[in-house]
Amino acid sequence: MLWASRAASYLRISAFHRGFSTVLKDLKYADSHEWVKVNGNSATIGITDHAQDHLGDVVYVELPEVGAAVKQGDSFGAVESVKATSDVNSPVSGKVVEVNEELNNSPALVNSSPYENGWIIKVEMNDAGELKKLMDSDQYSKFCEEEDSKH
Amino acid sequence: MRGPRKLEVWKMGVVNYLDALKLQEKLVSDRKICKIPDTVLSLQHPPTYTVGKRQTDHNLLIPMSELKNIGAELHYTQRGGDITFHGPRQAILYPVIALREIGFGARNYVEKLESTMIELASLYGVKACSGQKGETGVWVEDRKIGAIGVRISYGITSHGLAFNIDPDLKYFKHIVPCGIANKEVTSLRRETVTELPAEEIIHEQLISCFARLFGYSTITWKENPLILSDNEEIE
Repeated sequence: MLWASRAASYLRISAFHRGFSTVLKDLKYADSHEWVKVNGNSATIGITDHAQDHLGDVVYVELPEVGAAVKQGDSFGAVESVKATSDVNSPVSGKVVEVNEELNNSPALVNSSPYENGWIIKVEMNDAGELKKLMDSDQYSKFCEEEDSKH
Repeated sequence: MRGPRKLEVWKMGVVNYLDALKLQEKLVSDRKICKIPDTVLSLQHPPTYTVGKRQTDHNLLIPMSELKNIGAELHYTQRGGDITFHGPRQAILYPVIALREIGFGARNYVEKLESTMIELASLYGVKACSGQKGETGVWVEDRKIGAIGVRISYGITSHGLAFNIDPDLKYFKHIVPCGIANKEVTSLRRETVTELPAEEIIHEQLISCFARLFGYSTITWKENPLILSDNEEIE
């Protein structure tokens, strides 16, 4: 039994290296599996491919109000999948300037296009220094491997 | 690979829904700062209808004013899932566990909760299975015997599963259970030919299945923990 689960973990990791869960190079990542794309003072935020895979099919996305304040590491909304609501945390602090209304009609965009059409909110950052606390793509890939090997 | 994992079980008897919710909120905060180990509440509720985050109260088929007449409450929650009923003789587990320590996401967690109930059912010769896509829960053919609704915050779980030992199934007629029309709700009593032992034993079996499936090596049991003082603290 133990051998089988070790083998399975190993295979999962191998599949990961073959690009099973995508990690994009130019994004920053939080340890709660959200990504952020920075453009000047503007940050676009969503959840990663690893996150959407571990969630299952998303059926509902709870979005914050435009104008709401977000704080690094705190929840700003939630996604529902397989009868579970999972909080989504903001990788940066600032003010919500736009939310992806498309997700109200097509929550599954989070699964099919987690880094593009499945983006969740756009934030005007108030402290770009916070980005230092986030992981780059290599660190995040390693983080995911370590997490997945825990079971 | 990782050290032995400890589970603390609170055996609570019948608990009012809001009291259980307040307790879970406190336990989630405590678990987040590692003040307590992985904990699971084992309990039953008085007749209670609950809806999830999507507030699907359109699936309550009687007017809210009728609820008092049938002796039931209605609560709105932050868990996933649709409308459901909880009542006496339905075994509930509310695990408050840190999913990141086992590298689990929502999908793995919910699958394991389904397996917990499937295993329990099999102890009584009942062949249950998880639902088809989009129908999370535990089914005996197309009759639902177990429901799941979960919340995950900072990787810590709350709410959980409800397994029908022998609840009054008439209460389910007042809702579209879990938002799925035209499917029956059933119970262990209805599905098994085996004589059922005392409910406390079935609760313990459910907890054992949970502990085994989630790989806990140590279980500590806490009987009748006082929650009144906790409520005062929270206010």
